[in-house]
Amino acid sequence: MRMITKLFARIPMARRQHLLTLLAGVAAIAFPLLHDNDADIDSAANAAAYATLALGLNIVVGFAGLLDLGYAAFFAIGAYAYGILTSFQVMPHWSGFWEPFAWLELVRRIPQPGGDLVHFTVSFWIMLPVSALIAAAFGVLFGAPTLRLRGDYLAIVTLGFGEIVPIVVRNVDSVTNGAAGLNGIQAPRLFGHSFGVAALPYYYVAIGLVALLVFVSIRLRDSRIGRAWMAIREDEIAAAAMGVDRTRTKLLAFAIGAGFAGATGTFYVAKLQTATPEMFGFPVSVMILVMVVLGGMGSVWGVVLGAVSLQLLQSWFLEDISGWIHDLGTLIGQPWMLKIDLTESIELIFGLILVFMMLYRRDGLIPATRKQSALSFEEQHAEVRRGGFPALTGLGNFTHSDHTGLEVRDITVRFGGLVALNKVNLAVPAGDVVAVIGPNGSGKSTLFNVITGLTAADGGTIRFDTQSLLGLPPHQILRRGVARTFQNIRLFTNLSVLDNVLIGQHARLKTGPIAAVFRPPSTRREEAAARVWATEILSLFGNRLLPRATQTVSHLSYANRRRVEIARALASRPKILLLDEPTAGMNPAETLELAEQIKSLHSLGLTILLIEHKLDVVTRLADKVVVLDHGEKIAEGTPDEVRRNDAVLQAYLGRGTLAEGMVDA
Amino acid sequence: MSFSDLLLQQTINGLSLGAMYALLALGFTLVYGILELINFAHFNVFMVGSFIGMWTLQLMGINGQSIVMTGLPLIGTMLIALIVTMVLSGALGVLIERVSLRPLRDVKGPAAMITTIGVSYVLFNIILLTVGADSKNYPNPLPPVQWDIGDAVLRLREVLIWVIAVLLMLGLHFFVQRSKMGKAMRATAQDPEAARMMGVEVDRVIVIAFFLGSALAGAGGLIFGLYYNFTSFIIGFTAGLRAFTAAVLGGIGNVPGAMLGGVIIGLIEAMGGQFIATAWTDVIIFSILVLVLVFRPAGLLGRVAPNKS
Repeated sequence: MRMITKLFARIPMARRQHLLTLLAGVAAIAFPLLHDNDADIDSAANAAAYATLALGLNIVVGFAGLLDLGYAAFFAIGAYAYGILTSFQVMPHWSGFWEPFAWLELVRRIPQPGGDLVHFTVSFWIMLPVSALIAAAFGVLFGAPTLRLRGDYLAIVTLGFGEIVPIVVRNVDSVTNGAAGLNGIQAPRLFGHSFGVAALPYYYVAIGLVALLVFVSIRLRDSRIGRAWMAIREDEIAAAAMGVDRTRTKLLAFAIGAGFAGATGTFYVAKLQTATPEMFGFPVSVMILVMVVLGGMGSVWGVVLGAVSLQLLQSWFLEDISGWIHDLGTLIGQPWMLKIDLTESIELIFGLILVFMMLYRRDGLIPATRKQSALSFEEQHAEVRRGGFPALTGLGNFTHSDHTGLEVRDITVRFGGLVALNKVNLAVPAGDVVAVIGPNGSGKSTLFNVITGLTAADGGTIRFDTQSLLGLPPHQILRRGVARTFQNIRLFTNLSVLDNVLIGQHARLKTGPIAAVFRPPSTRREEAAARVWATEILSLFGNRLLPRATQTVSHLSYANRRRVEIARALASRPKILLLDEPTAGMNPAETLELAEQIKSLHSLGLTILLIEHKLDVVTRLADKVVVLDHGEKIAEGTPDEVRRNDAVLQAYLGRGTLAEGMVDA
Repeated sequence: MSFSDLLLQQTINGLSLGAMYALLALGFTLVYGILELINFAHFNVFMVGSFIGMWTLQLMGINGQSIVMTGLPLIGTMLIALIVTMVLSGALGVLIERVSLRPLRDVKGPAAMITTIGVSYVLFNIILLTVGADSKNYPNPLPPVQWDIGDAVLRLREVLIWVIAVLLMLGLHFFVQRSKMGKAMRATAQDPEAARMMGVEVDRVIVIAFFLGSALAGAGGLIFGLYYNFTSFIIGFTAGLRAFTAAVLGGIGNVPGAMLGGVIIGLIEAMGGQFIATAWTDVIIFSILVLVLVFRPAGLLGRVAPNKS
């Protein structure tokens, strides 16, 4: 045994995972051959079915961070889609219309004295993907009105949908046979043989589904789509500002998650050959959630393990343990022990799992992100550089001075009675650096928010390169070349530095969900180029970020987080960069370093709009300074002109304390 | 029964249901207002409260509907049952907060909400496993007094429910608006950080919010038993969802809104059951929930919350 672990430790990390996958696959295939017990194989097939459900919910909850409490509704939709199209429940009258379908063997003509009827006989293999599509369509239908809601409201609305679907199923008995449920659902057939009721063929179909969905999950996770989901999970506002279309991306997660459930629903009723509304209620949604939470939200293999272990706990272990307790009770003559039936307390165990996992192990049994080793001393050693960016060779493409720049005219923003911005005018000519200064609460960040579409304006116009930005969602504003950083740093904290910078490129990449799964050569090329670009951007900051590229952002120092945020914005290939207090919290040396780096960005042709409190930085960088106070522009001019302006001095120092030069302090 | 009598009867029923939902909705609103957390445990605190009320009445020797009381003994018995139920339910709420939610106070994402689902499941199954799955006959010492208004009937129990609910809600309203603790609560709901800096003990405010919310849910549970003459482990889910809808409808975080929402949902349930079909009641109520959230997320009385980013 020790030899095996020793050998295992010698295999490189990446290979280890492949080896484990292979072992799990072999074990899954060999299991029924080694253990020929129909009931146990049946339990294992159910466990696999629940694993596919957990994989689907993991996309919604684990990747995109949307708590869906009505997931079983999509399971039900897939189940009833197959059930209705293969049972004798719905039988329209025969007409010529059905002829081609009969020829395709999708329907059969049933002779009846009162007029012939149609019997649907759609094949299981056709229905598997079709149910996935139907459920995904319902996912879009339910999701579209609700995904704009805050996350916690979404939970309650999905809970509502999860309740409505079984109620509808129960109430429209002509289609679903109501509470009595559908019966006589056709078993799958392969090469003319019906699967019947033996567990074995279902087991292999189920593990095939698990393997397929694990593959799809991993491919999606490691793609542009997966990164966008996780960006939304980590910080929705920042994701939008970095070019992620929130509604679409969430809908996609919802639809794909629903699709997994739909296919599983078809499999599940094909196996049981019956479907009742009770099979898809709230307890099922919670059970799938427990599986995801136990395995680890966002962890593909974790949720498979979570699903399999819970299902086996339910169908094997609890019964066994109850049996042992009964034996023990008989042995020591304690009749009360004979009454204990742990299988009844499975839901209590579910509840306890949810509470304890959240309190003590939120990452689950197999956490999605692995612990990282610390950097070596050399890697931690930072070379403080002067004179801006060292390597500018690959970065010629920031030159955008052909556009007309940013023009803000008469912009007004009100929060209730408070006027945050009052008819503010601002022009940032292409290729210039303009700084906005002003006391706290003067409306500087609101100005940034309104330019980047995070706050709605109550009047005025904003034009960039002659196009109006007003009313556009944040991701489209980024797409037009306006990127920003945030005053209080909004990074995707639980993702790596590299991922953060890759998400910055979201709007510049094209990979969709299908390309993400199949990875055609064009997608591989795009992804490789994206990584090269990300590495180039990171290398701008010397060895401050590059050795930390795979580290989680939450491990970084404050100054490095500011740098990552700038890198993330630069990765989107902006025409104008909006920096909101980029040097806040940095020491003088770091401030100087960053100021010179910003200067070299400017010399590359990037237009920059800067909010800054440190006036020496402003003086060093800005061509023009705009001063805001109480939401109004009180001065504009060169740094020298502004520092001599009476209104500015009053705003900063208060009336009656005018003293030239004090702003320098 | 004439249409107007039907309408009157369903108004009476709806107001009684509404009083119960309003009490339950207040707990959602108090906790949400302060922690921005949907507390799913609240569903089953209500259910457990209903059992606490039943056991309290049984301890006082009342079983089923055979023992009928009048006058002062009746008022005294009801008062004791109400107070014991509220205090114990409130304590349960405080325990839940202390054990399972306080450690997660600063954790981002759905962790706290998932925990409340877990707690709710635990309460549900503890009652199921200890008390059993069959519904319990609720002790009810109220005399079968009723008034006929046309063909509609107004029973004493309905009047009693209204009186209890109105008194509790008035009490809560004055507590929140007038008392020092109430002021601290409103301050915390606006901005916990600022409230903390102004010397408000935020932990205590949260504990009080859980206590009050759970106590009111307990009262709601007692009312459920007195109104329907039964209770069961299963009552928390439907009532909880309807009450949550009520809280959202009125404007979550808004105390008068929860009361208004409760009454509206109660009336919708009664009228819908009468004039549409009971089988579709939940569909109607959920549709309202979705429509309100999509088109007026601040609810009827709520104001649009400032962006807390």
